[in-house]
Amino acid sequence: MVLTEKSEMQVMAIEASGVDRAFGGVQALRGASFAARPAEIHALAGENGAGKSTLIKVLCGVITADRGKVEIFGQQVRRVVEPAARRGLGVATAFQELSLIPDLTVAENLLLHSPPRGRLGLVRRGRLVPEAEAILHRYGVDYIDSRLTAAELSVAHRQVVELVRVLATEPRVLILDEPTAALPDKQVEWLSGHMRRLRDAGTCVIFTSHRWREIEALADRVTVMRNGTHVATRENLSEAEAVTLMSGRTFEGTYPDVTTIATGETALRVSDLRGGRLQGVSFSMRQGEILGVGGLAGQGQRDLFLTLFGAQRAAAGNLEVGGFPVTLRRPRDAIRAGLGIAYVPEDRKAEGLFLPLSIRDNIALATLARRSSGGLVSRGREAQAVASLVGQLRIGAGRSTSQAVGNLSGGNQQKVLMARWLLTDAQVLLLFDVTRGVDAATKRDIFDLIAQLAAQGKAILFYSSETEEIAHLCHRVLVLREGRVAVELDGPVRDAERIVAASLKEVPGA
Amino acid sequence: MSIHRYARLLAAAAVVLLISTGCGDGSADNPATGGAKRVKIALSNSFIGNQWRVEMENVFKAACAMPPYLEQVECSIYNAGNDVSTQSRQISNLISQGVNAIVINAASTSGLNGVVQQACDRGIVVVSFDNTVDAPCGLTVNTDQVKFGKQLAQFIVDQLKGQGNVIMVTGVAGTGADNDRNKGAKEVFAANPGIKLVGEYTGMWDSATAQRNTSAQLPGLPKVDGVWVSGGTDGVIKAFAEAGRPMPVFGGEGENGFRKYMAGILTPKVVGMSVGQPPFLSVISLELARAVLKGERQKKSIEIPFPVATSDSLKPGETVFPDLPDSFFADFTDSGPNATVVLCQNAATDGTPCPGTLKVNLGS
Amino acid sequence: MPDRLRRLLSGPASLGYAVLTATAVTYLLVYTTNLGHLPTSFDYLSILNTTLPLVFVAIGQSLVVITGGIDLSVGGIVAFCVAVTATRVHGSGLTPFAWLLAILALGTACGAVNGVIVARARIAPILTTLATLSIFSGLALWVLPVPGGSIPSGVRMVLTNPTVPTGLIWLSLAVLGWLVLRRTRFGMRVYAVGSDETSAVAIGVPAARIKIAVYALSGLCSALAAVFYVSTTTAGDANAGGPFILTSIASVVVGGVAFSGGRGSALGAMAGAVALTLVIDVIFFAGIDPLYQSLFQGLFLVVAVLLGTGAALIARARRGAL
Repeated sequence: MVLTEKSEMQVMAIEASGVDRAFGGVQALRGASFAARPAEIHALAGENGAGKSTLIKVLCGVITADRGKVEIFGQQVRRVVEPAARRGLGVATAFQELSLIPDLTVAENLLLHSPPRGRLGLVRRGRLVPEAEAILHRYGVDYIDSRLTAAELSVAHRQVVELVRVLATEPRVLILDEPTAALPDKQVEWLSGHMRRLRDAGTCVIFTSHRWREIEALADRVTVMRNGTHVATRENLSEAEAVTLMSGRTFEGTYPDVTTIATGETALRVSDLRGGRLQGVSFSMRQGEILGVGGLAGQGQRDLFLTLFGAQRAAAGNLEVGGFPVTLRRPRDAIRAGLGIAYVPEDRKAEGLFLPLSIRDNIALATLARRSSGGLVSRGREAQAVASLVGQLRIGAGRSTSQAVGNLSGGNQQKVLMARWLLTDAQVLLLFDVTRGVDAATKRDIFDLIAQLAAQGKAILFYSSETEEIAHLCHRVLVLREGRVAVELDGPVRDAERIVAASLKEVPGA
Repeated sequence: MSIHRYARLLAAAAVVLLISTGCGDGSADNPATGGAKRVKIALSNSFIGNQWRVEMENVFKAACAMPPYLEQVECSIYNAGNDVSTQSRQISNLISQGVNAIVINAASTSGLNGVVQQACDRGIVVVSFDNTVDAPCGLTVNTDQVKFGKQLAQFIVDQLKGQGNVIMVTGVAGTGADNDRNKGAKEVFAANPGIKLVGEYTGMWDSATAQRNTSAQLPGLPKVDGVWVSGGTDGVIKAFAEAGRPMPVFGGEGENGFRKYMAGILTPKVVGMSVGQPPFLSVISLELARAVLKGERQKKSIEIPFPVATSDSLKPGETVFPDLPDSFFADFTDSGPNATVVLCQNAATDGTPCPGTLKVNLGS
Repeated sequence: MPDRLRRLLSGPASLGYAVLTATAVTYLLVYTTNLGHLPTSFDYLSILNTTLPLVFVAIGQSLVVITGGIDLSVGGIVAFCVAVTATRVHGSGLTPFAWLLAILALGTACGAVNGVIVARARIAPILTTLATLSIFSGLALWVLPVPGGSIPSGVRMVLTNPTVPTGLIWLSLAVLGWLVLRRTRFGMRVYAVGSDETSAVAIGVPAARIKIAVYALSGLCSALAAVFYVSTTTAGDANAGGPFILTSIASVVVGGVAFSGGRGSALGAMAGAVALTLVIDVIFFAGIDPLYQSLFQGLFLVVAVLLGTGAALIARARRGAL
């Protein structure tokens, strides 16, 4: 047993060397190398745009490298190998941009490759649901209805199904790209358990994450990437070291100082807002204030943001912006009414960004009307406005603003989305989970920007799936429970546990 | 959900209805024939998107409103578009309706054979014209398209005294009429060794297309002495005029525009012969169907001669119409002492009946 | 069984069923008021036989649309196969049926050509099939320059007997064929490719092969349509295919198949095809002025599609509470 283990240790489970890959004019990988052993959990860390996702796609065969080679258990895979063939080699991958088929049911998604067959080799559709339920049960996620289509699931549940699909193949090499970005803490624990179990059974588990504590807790080794190349692979790495390695810069604190209390006039007053999961939410916020919205997942946070943005109709309730009552029927009302509510959607891939369009067009889209005269867009003025924002937000590391957004990394795409709404001169900003799937350095940029905007007198409503961020960044925190404001905490709360504790109080069964 | 429930209810209702009727009576009313009763004759036309078809339906409508048809026939008109299955459905429905005769201008020569056979089997008189139906049980009223080609070609050959360059502007490829017309023309040209065919291209039976294609072809053509046109003749003349070419001899269709040039109403005056597929074929078919139903004629297909006009025989108001547009087919009425049928201008323009009784001469 | 029926009626094809039911009821109404008696077996039979070709083309078209594509070349393939059927299928006994198999193979091959161009050369389906439409239509004219040809009466008796509803057998076989296809792994993958091709490729679905197969199947359906077309009309016409392009797409739309791909059912498209045929009859018996017939056919399409969109919106609004 010891002997075999030793000899296996000689062979890397998966190894890439000298990999180049470019998209359009963007060189995503330059001579990148990576190696992971069997029976280890290997974290891949790096800023947005460092090339992690691209490397993972090369490893699992979704894209081919322009140069370089990939070996799986010492066996070199041919240049053009479809993911199907890699599955045969025991490689399974869960992608950051979810690869569930939206119109298929959970059951169909889980069993697409090996559906239950009856006589004549026909798929027994009646058996799909029971078999899928068996799989979901085996992985302890019975709460997912296998009859729903993937499109009907919440982002978090979609991620869970995606993970179950991959786990269920019991792979020899398991690759997880940002598996926890869309997951609430409970499911993160669930996933960690399965990652450890597979590792102990000899599987090579590779994952990426922007949450350092997860990397710390899970990874046996960490590989850091920067600018498309390998920087270091270590067994022990502190967060500070990692951040320095990833960014090439050093940082002091992670969060800006928000101890000063805002004293501006009331920017937004919400009274008895109902609709969706909202059961009568009332609050007001002042200019210059960062107001956090906390609570357990699914207590109405999303509905609150969507309603304030005009993307969802309120069933009842009043809204005052700058002292004037407003009615919002569609996002255009929100943008137009001079109240300038800005919303950054949760799922970048699904809503908001136009991937084939340029950075400039994407940013300028929400305000076309204001910078056009007689229906024509003034390219000059547009370019000027965009350029200053792009600089401010450090989007795309000095790339041309005519670059297609689709070629940017996830974090940079998020910045483009934020920039779009900043350009509207919005007085009230609604920021919904804008840091999801964003690396530490980019997060830092975004936090700074938020603090700066608040200092300029903008009112900011902030939600994050990471309670830690709400605790540190906000002047005041509203904790939602069952569609109502349950508790109001003065900030900065600093201790996320306080928000969590407030969220749980009086919840039946908790 | 409520929509689905609604759908389910409707589905159930329909199933019940269909089942209860499916086993119902299998015999439609037998079409009543003969006697003083008015006979039902329906016109089933394919598409209605051009001048010729509009005139064809107008004269049919006008005829139905004129004695003797006014008293004897109950007319109806249906258009199917260029879709065989639509026309096939219409004819099936006409059968169910119990009409006595169906007059057809078909969307496909062969595509209606099945349903026409079914009509014949039920004793319905089927007369097809212009784009006729193959089914052997149906009667046809038509002109001889090979003769059309020959007649125009012969005119050109005669005018050129057997010597010269000619071009052919053909119609829509793949249609029977186009094939036959071209065949007839080529036979005549081939029989005259002095005639050289220097160009052949399609005008799609459309003046604008014919003009465009002619303009495109002309620079590459030598001196042209005669032009044979299957349709869109006035367009070809315009192209020649624009290119500053000397006017050749024209053999063309029955368009009013062409006849205006021939009559000198438009300049340049051209020498030519205008032979047309007459829109009144529908009226002839109506008469044949009526006569067969009344037992006045044998069930036999007929072929009618083309109404012909040459530059020196044109009469304004009879064979050329100065106040009607160029695209109008001036051969909606025949002329002369042996005319097949004579109709007034209003019959062709709005389908209003002409004064008096309509006399149709089907020949012997 | 009731559960299965319920799923059938609330499934992706329900728009097609609803529209079909509505037109069928309207047809019965206008027919009865017009003629004073209910439709006879002659009416049902002739509806069945004239619809069959469109039903087949609609099945093929819906498959292609489910993968997110569109097949304009159905017109060309139908025309080509009609031409070959009308000119080559002769003789008696089993010989003509052997010929029919050859024609089905021919149609499949034509469709596969589309598939290879779309999937391997990555040219947009609309461009690819527009180009091949011209090619196949040209081939049809070359084979049968003038309308004509014939079909042995033996074939006719088996396929579209004018007195016995043999067409019902073939219609049921088509339904059965679809249900079987839907229950293959291939069937599941067709939906996967149409719903999100990138994701499908990422999880190892051989998208290119699936697409080629789907276009080939569409070709096969067009060939079937051609055979039935010649059988009902008893002759061929190289221009026979044209109308099928628009009507098949209309059937797919009425049948509730989503043009974004991934959603819908060929059963819906089949129902849509029958409904479109019935609309012709409704217009006929309603005595609508011939000049406005195509206007009404268009209105019918628009209303059907609006209904479908409305239903989808309501369904989404109900789900939206998530």
